[in-house]
This record gives sequence, C-alpha cells and structure tokens, in this order.
Amino acid sequence: MAVDSYIKKMFGEKSSQFADAKVLLVGAGGIGCELLKDLIMMNIGEIHVLDLDTIDLSNLNRQFLFRHKDIKQSKSKTAIAAVEFFNYKSKLYAYHGSVLDTNLFPLSFFKQFNIIYNALDNLEARFYMNRMCLYLNIPLYESGTTGLKGQVQPIYPYLTECFSCVPKETPKTFPVCTIRSTPSKPVHCITWAKDFLFSQLFSNEDTNTQEIDASEFTNEEEAEASKKEVNELADLKKIIANEGDNEIVIKIFEKIFIADIERLLKIEELWKSREKPSFEQIKDYDHFFKDINKEYLTTCKDQSTLEEILKTFASSLLRLTDRFKNNENIEFDKDDEDTLFFVMSASNIRSLIFNIPTKNEFDVKQIAGNIIPAVATTNAIMAGFSALSSVNYFLENDNINRVVKSKMVFDSSSTDKVVNSSKLIKPNPSCSACSIVKGIITIDLSSTTLGQLRDKLIEKYNYGDDVEIMTLDSRLLYDFDLEDNLEEKLTNFINDQTVLLINDSDEKFDLIELYVLNSQNSEIILPELNIPLKKIKPSENENDENDDDDKLLVDNEENNDIKVTVSLDDDDDLVEEQPPMKKRKF
Amino acid sequence: MSRDLRTERIQQERKQWRKDHPFGFYAKPTKKSDGSLDLHNWTAGIPGKQGTIWENATYPLTISFPEDYPAKPPKIKFPPAFYHPNVYPSGTICLSILNEEQDWRPAINIKSLLLGIQELLDTPNPNSPAQEPAWKAFSKSPEEYQKKVKLQAQQYKDKV
Ligand SMILES: [Zn+2]
Repeated sequence: MAVDSYIKKMFGEKSSQFADAKVLLVGAGGIGCELLKDLIMMNIGEIHVLDLDTIDLSNLNRQFLFRHKDIKQSKSKTAIAAVEFFNYKSKLYAYHGSVLDTNLFPLSFFKQFNIIYNALDNLEARFYMNRMCLYLNIPLYESGTTGLKGQVQPIYPYLTECFSCVPKETPKTFPVCTIRSTPSKPVHCITWAKDFLFSQLFSNEDTNTQEIDASEFTNEEEAEASKKEVNELADLKKIIANEGDNEIVIKIFEKIFIADIERLLKIEELWKSREKPSFEQIKDYDHFFKDINKEYLTTCKDQSTLEEILKTFASSLLRLTDRFKNNENIEFDKDDEDTLFFVMSASNIRSLIFNIPTKNEFDVKQIAGNIIPAVATTNAIMAGFSALSSVNYFLENDNINRVVKSKMVFDSSSTDKVVNSSKLIKPNPSCSACSIVKGIITIDLSSTTLGQLRDKLIEKYNYGDDVEIMTLDSRLLYDFDLEDNLEEKLTNFINDQTVLLINDSDEKFDLIELYVLNSQNSEIILPELNIPLKKIKPSENENDENDDDDKLLVDNEENNDIKVTVSLDDDDDLVEEQPPMKKRKF
Repeated sequence: MSRDLRTERIQQERKQWRKDHPFGFYAKPTKKSDGSLDLHNWTAGIPGKQGTIWENATYPLTISFPEDYPAKPPKIKFPPAFYHPNVYPSGTICLSILNEEQDWRPAINIKSLLLGIQELLDTPNPNSPAQEPAWKAFSKSPEEYQKKVKLQAQQYKDKV
C-alpha cells in the first residue's frame, strides 16, 4: 500500500495537512535518526534537520542512518542523504551548526516552522529551544531518553507545562563544602577521591588551578582548613615523587584520613546539625598495612571488608606512584584499573569515616565514569511517540483542542508496563521561563531613545502610570531614579538579541519579556500580548520560605485540573496516570 | 525552578527604602558606566551612633544579592581589614541575621539588616570572634581598642 493511502486510512482526510507543514528537527543523533524516519513516513511537507555533531564510531550501534564510511561527516547532512532513497514526498534540509549560535540561527530562523521537535542530548540546548518556542509561541515536542527510561512531552506555550516548569535533575555538581568537608552520599566521596584527591596527587597540572574560592564556603574556618589541606597535599606530592617507599602509604593515609578529618572535627559549627565523622570503622588500619604489596587482592572489586578496601588503597597507590615516577601523565580513566581502584578505595575509606555506605567496583565505575548507556530501542519508542503525539497538531484546528488531545508519554516505574501516558498539565505559575509572557520587539536601536520606547510600551499595553525597563541580566535601564537615561539612544544600553524585562510600576500587570530584534529604519513594533495580572507580589511572599522544590510540586499537583474528558479508546494499553511527581531525568 | 524572585524583591526593597529609611544611612545599586544600575550589587553606608566611639563617621558597605535571595541572605561586607571584633579580615560580618543557618529570614529587609549592623558596631558579640587584632584589644586592652576605633572613625569621618 502506498504511504499516502496508508496514512489516510490511519488518520483520515485531515492527514493531507501533513504535507503543508514545515517542521524543524533539532538533533540528528539517537532519537533524531528515528524521528526523521517517522516524520518522513508521515509525509511531512518540509523537514529541516539541525545538528552540530559529526558522526563517531560509537554512534553506529544505534544511530541507524549512519555507516562506517560516514565517520567524521556531518550528522544532519548524512542523515538526510541516507533517507533520500526511501523518502516519498518530504523536502529535506540539513544544517550543520549549534542551535545556540545566534548568527547561524537567529530567532527569525525558527519563526518559519509549524512545529519544532527536540531530539537533544543536553539540557542547555533544551532550555534554549524551550525559550525560543515561548518567544515565538510555537509548539515544541520534547523527547529524551536515559538508558531504559524516556519521555515525550508536547509543549504548547503558556497552555501546558513547559520544559522549565518542573525542576530537572541536572548532572550534579556539588557545593565545594559538601565535597570537601561534609559528604553525605557515596557520590560525594567518589567526587572527592576523583576530582580532588586523585588530581592533587597525580595530575601534572599546576596545583594552583585547584585554588580555593573562599566564597564557596559558608564558614571561613572551613575555607582556611581546606586551603591548608591543599598546601599539605602539594607536599605529599613531593614525597611521592622523591621517596616512593612503602612509608608513603602510611604517610598519605594518615594525612588525608586522620589529620585532615581531625582538623574538620575541630570546626564545631559543621557538626551542630550533622553526624560527626568517626575513625571507629577504620581504627585497625595499621594492622592491614603491615604486609602491603603491589598485587591486588583477588576479591578487591567487592570492597566488602576493611581489608579489601585498605589493601586496594595501598596497592593502587603504590602502582600509581611507580607510574608517576616514570613521568607518566596519569589521568583518571574508568578503564584504567589503577586509577579506578585508587578512587574506589579512597572514596570507600572516606565513606567509612563519614558513615556512608561503601560501593563496589561496578557502582564506582558507573558513578565516576558518568556512564549513561544509550539504548536504541528506547530511542525508537520515544521518537515514535513524539511523532505520533504530534499528529494531534494536524488533526485539530486550534491549540486548545490540541492540548486536550495530546498526551505526555514517560517510562513506567512498574514492571508490567513499559510506558505511561498522561494529560498535559497546566504551566507552573512560578516557572522561571513560561510564567513570564514573552514576545518579540522589532525596533531601530540607533534612532530610538529609551524614552520613546517607554512611551510606546505604556501606550500599547495600557500601563496605568509608568514602567521599569530592565535587561534579563538585571541591569536597570529606566525607572523613577533614572530619568536622565530617557534621552539616550538605545544603542547605549542594549544590542540586537538583548532580552528586556518590562515591569509595571503600579504592580498591577505582571512582568513581560521582550526579545529585541534590531531592524534599521523600522518603527517600534510590539507584539500582541495577553499580559496577566500580577499573581504574587514579592512583598506578600516575604514570610514564605518556599525555597524548596517540594512545595512547587505540590502547587503543581493542585493546579492540575485541566477540565477535559479524554477519550481513552485510542490507547487501550496505556494506563492513564499522573506523570511522576519527582524530578524527572532527562 | 522558580522565576527570578530576586530582582523583583530587590526592586521592592528599593521602593521601600526610598519611602522610608533611617537618618544618615544610604543604600543604592551601583551605577554602571552606561548609566544603568546593577541591581544585584549595592553600596551602603552606616552612621556610627552618636555618643559612642563610632560617632561622626559613616562606614561603607557592599551588599551583593545571591541568586537565591531572598531565600538566602545578601552578602554584606565592610572594606577588607575593617577593625571590629566580629568582622572577618575579608570584611565579612559575623552576625546571626546575615547567616542563613541562623537567624536569616526572607522577611528581613535591608533597613533591618543595616540597623542590626549599626547596633553591632558598639556592642560586639563576645561569643563570635572573627579577627585577631580587634578581638584581642576589645577583650584585653580597652584603651587600645578605643584608640583604634576612633582612628578608624577619622578615616570614615563625615564631611560637615
Ligand atoms: Zn514553564
């Protein structure tokens, strides 16, 4: 059966509208390859594919449009060339470049599309595309996978939850003081062993790069103690380089696991509300250091006894010392046994001191190596749902109905089903991105004064009295104190692509955000916006210590009352369920 | 992730301060070279109380508002090496209302913070030493302490 009639059979007469659509696919990697194929099968009129990457050997197992001969070639260009032979009708365009590059892809580039599909692998680009779609009011189909988990989220700007509405579990960086002074999880100890201890002892990089920023510590004593540690470690590095006998094991052990901890113990502030570190679990260490050698115990990967932990520490330290003395440049590598075992055993000793569970080789390798496996099947499933979900865009006539029909899809935590779906959720009223209405202002910056802009804003949006004009990075350009600035040309303050925040001095209307497009000889063109009334006045918020995420999520749940009935007959095997109200992984 | 409450709150603080602030104090965002204001970094001044060894001078401060203000307190500093038992060598002030783990509450406004710091000038907290010189002098040789404080007051003397 020809694709045309097949699609017609599935989606009815309106499916002919697929052919009129112009869509952008951001990312031609794991999900992107799958999605490109799916969109072609839908006969989408124009598909523009954008990716900054070139093809790597490690991509070939799942990014099925690429072959060995394509290595080092552009992903987007190779992908569209690869599908050409089974492409039926779609016009394809490839762009090689970063979506964040405003020279290559200014806001006006995105304007031409009906739908944008995200198939990205990083949060920065996702947040960016989310904002662009908010400025332009374009539906965004967001998808992502990690291992066997995945999700698809259709985003209809200001009508449904956007990508920023729910806090994301970002690849964690931890506060310095947590790593250096007050670890509470295995990952804190592993990070300490890998990024601090290992690099201090064996990295050839200048130790000055590890300079401590005192402002990262809340406690000045703590910052001092930390500085001292670094200096003394530099001394130990000298010992490693010059002496290198078995004494080193004891010296280094007693410095980093006894003396440094004792120093921390003296800072009483730290332990007022925390469990103090204790030497109880490692107190017999010298017993195990009596007969150390460079051969690893056969059971050293288990890390289940103090002997396994301490002897692995001693052996890996001595082996690394030998390599260091041979002027080898040692970098941490999860596949380099000595470096992995050193980080593993050192972090476990620290864990014993801070009463944190120890981890075996497998776990440490995962955590220290930041390994998130990519799974072809998950990519294919999620890409399929993304394409399928976007069918509603074409079958319905307006965004309200599209929102009602569209579903969010995400992995299931139960064992008897693979995925769940849920209705789309209303935006989080305190979302950093979509709770502020956005639009584009076209303006000639070199001929327009700040005063003219102010007057135009007041006239267009019916502000009662006056406005405050800020930039997104919180430079205040105009308010009651800055009358002098009104005479100045806008070029003095801002550029093309600056984002302006406009606040109502009366506090009646909520903030709005305007993306500046500089256009010579243009009149001031302001977007049509529906500016909501101010929801929370900052002053009313003062007694409310709502800095914890949980509260926001609770609010969200309460507001999750989109009053619609959704027909379930099109997805019998999917159980209607609330999306997981936890930090979702992306 | 919640929206930028920091800037909204700072603007609120500015308006409050403009309407009502204690005599002799100042607090304002720093001005950039293009004439715009940096809302996240302020300068402020606190007069020493009359009738104390701190009198007739206005002591300068910098206030910077961290990203999660007002959930977290602003960082308020005297100039480095400022002479006071509860001021660290860096100028950081050791005061419970400025410490998020102690008495900081989002409801505390700039006015109360600055009044609190003014109070601290002449009534140091004997339980939290932050620097050696002023602390030693304050607890062991009051005369030297007074002399040094008055010398410092000269440095920040009010222009009449
Ligand atoms: Zn949002």
